[in-house]
Amino acid sequence: MKQKAGTTKLILCIILLALLSSCTSKPKFKGKIGMTCMDLTNPFFKLIANLMQEEAAKYGYDIVALSGDQDPAKQNNQLSDFVAQSYDAIFLNPVDSKSAGEGVKKAYAAGIPVFTFDVQVTDEEANRLIISHIGSDNYQGGRLAGESMMKVTGDRGKIAIVNLPEVTSCILRVDGFKDYLKEHNSSLQIVTELSGKGNRNDAYAVTTDILQAHPAIVGIFAINDPSALGAYAAVKKANKLNQITLVGFDASPAGKQAVFEKKLYDSPQQFPRKMAKGTVQAFIKYLEGEDLPKNNFIRCAHYYYDDSVSDPGRVKEQW
Amino acid sequence: MVFVLIGLCLLFSVLTLKEQALESSRAIGQLVEQISKAYRKSDLVLTVGAFNKESVPFAKQLREELEKEGFSNTRMVVGIPRDLRLTLDDIKASGSEPAVIATSGDVIKWRVLERLGEKYPEFSGCEVLIPESYPWPDFLKRSNLLAIVDRIVVIAVIAIGMTMVIITGGIDLSVGSLIAVSAVIGTVVMKKLGGLAAADWVVLVGFIAGILSCGIIGGLGGFLVARFKVPPFITTLGIMLMGRGLAFMITGGFSIYQVPKALPWLGQGTSVGIPNTVIMLFFLYIIAHIFMSHTRLGRHIYAVGGNQEAARLSGVSVQYVIVFVYIISSLAAGLGGCIQASQLNTGTPNMGVMYELYVIAAVVVGGSSLSGGSGRILGTLIGVFVISVIQNGMNLLGIESYTQQVVLGLVILGAVLLDKARSSGALSGALSKKVRSVYRRRN
Repeated sequence: MKQKAGTTKLILCIILLALLSSCTSKPKFKGKIGMTCMDLTNPFFKLIANLMQEEAAKYGYDIVALSGDQDPAKQNNQLSDFVAQSYDAIFLNPVDSKSAGEGVKKAYAAGIPVFTFDVQVTDEEANRLIISHIGSDNYQGGRLAGESMMKVTGDRGKIAIVNLPEVTSCILRVDGFKDYLKEHNSSLQIVTELSGKGNRNDAYAVTTDILQAHPAIVGIFAINDPSALGAYAAVKKANKLNQITLVGFDASPAGKQAVFEKKLYDSPQQFPRKMAKGTVQAFIKYLEGEDLPKNNFIRCAHYYYDDSVSDPGRVKEQW
Repeated sequence: MVFVLIGLCLLFSVLTLKEQALESSRAIGQLVEQISKAYRKSDLVLTVGAFNKESVPFAKQLREELEKEGFSNTRMVVGIPRDLRLTLDDIKASGSEPAVIATSGDVIKWRVLERLGEKYPEFSGCEVLIPESYPWPDFLKRSNLLAIVDRIVVIAVIAIGMTMVIITGGIDLSVGSLIAVSAVIGTVVMKKLGGLAAADWVVLVGFIAGILSCGIIGGLGGFLVARFKVPPFITTLGIMLMGRGLAFMITGGFSIYQVPKALPWLGQGTSVGIPNTVIMLFFLYIIAHIFMSHTRLGRHIYAVGGNQEAARLSGVSVQYVIVFVYIISSLAAGLGGCIQASQLNTGTPNMGVMYELYVIAAVVVGGSSLSGGSGRILGTLIGVFVISVIQNGMNLLGIESYTQQVVLGLVILGAVLLDKARSSGALSGALSKKVRSVYRRRN
């Protein structure tokens, strides 16, 4: 019995110590920020959420990261909940750039500043209410992909696009890609555009079908790395690796590795780190009363084999 | 199940207890008193309000009261932190110094105010005053209770139809997709009939088009189930896939946002201070309740679910009843789609994904049996509330998305288990056994 009391005391002491140490190391708790993105099962957004949490903690803010699960109504409800809880700010990555406007208006009416990242809100009225936006320049990234595709194919032959027409940023990538080809009078012929649903499995299936219908294509542009890798698997299965070159998008770790292994020719790079930190920084600057730019577009960059050789992030990063 | 709901409400009320700013008139009186005691009438007093928050009228009123008290040198800032910074810069440039900055709770977090000493060393004598606060749960704030109703309305409307389908022993998986079909068809019709500049009646035409298209689809599904005995699960699964694809086809994958100004009225507007959605829900549930418990057709629905053969032999037109419930379910889903389009002021083809499962969960939590024959409309309403209160409460508590799904699943299972145990008497049996054993031990 006596021993038991001793153990209890010890445990209490440890808990007390832990509490004390946690009090001293952390900055004072200031408040909560609501963050909702289109899909937290996508590692890209999971990474952004984690980085945001890390960065905001430095200033004493907690980030509540929720997933819109590709459902605009669900995300709208989440925004309502943030408003009801009167959070200090909302970081929004709209599932649907049009319907998110209503939630933004609600937040504005309640005096909560909204910052968007990655995808913009396109409802004109709501867009005026946004404090600032930070995101990749997807259109410019698409142009880079177009440039690479023209270069690697020698601007001759038929190509296919594996797209994701449900998502605005991916539509912009395809637009940039096509516009680049058009402006440079490319003789590349886009024979088909089908949805790979943004993931490996579906991209594999759809590319297999593309290869059945168009066996002579020389290149495939896939709007993100999972799609590109799915497409790669299909091309490999069909023994057409020598004939077909693949261009992805994102330069995710898996994508970087694929570029390094020469599975992909190029994967225009997005910078989730800059995006996450930039959003938190925008909020802090807002609180400091500084002037903020309305839009902050991060330009994408090519990611070729030469870039991958000396890139430490290729192995180290996880998303 | 009512007790589960009440328990959840209590739980979230306790968990979301937070310091809230004092009611403004009392807080203002307090601050005015404090300031007039400590400062001279000629001192510069700055009142600050954060944009669109309660602190705006607060700052205005505070300034007026101070001026009444004889403070001649007051300034007010209303807006975002940047506005305060500009004002402070301005004061600094004019060579004066604010003696006191008075504001309510939400402004105090602005870093420009927090780091006042660092950024404006010349204002070292300036004091920042805020009123006292009191504890009140976020969950019970008026704005949050309205947010809950806002989120349940679509599911609640659809759950009426689903309850009827489930009472006949069927199931309707297509409602989620039909939300999208209705919203998309409705908004496309509105767009074609003039879009942004269209008159108010166009909205009604759009709604009717959306709801009727769903009704027709539902009628076809019901016909397959009733006439050819295709299992409802398969029939509605097929419709679910077709509906979703159709919605994407109609819009080409984009959202339809060129809609008349009157569209948000249904989902966001209010009449006599009550949200229209609440009024509509109230009447729909009253009507559905009376229909199910007091009309011949309503009783027939129970009869078909209880025992189809017996119902047929006693003269119930079984096929007619089955087609009827699927039409009602689809019409309800169509109405749900219109409400959602109105809430979001857009028609989007990915609306309502997974809603069929939430609706079915709500109906089952509400006490309907999936094997048919039993269930109550008002029970369904409670089931809907249980599910949305959990979702809302978890968001308020800031629980992570992944965890939320686990908790929601567990609560649904737990609620149904509890209900089963209660209705079959297992719970009271177990309890009385326990009591008896305790009693025996005492003796």
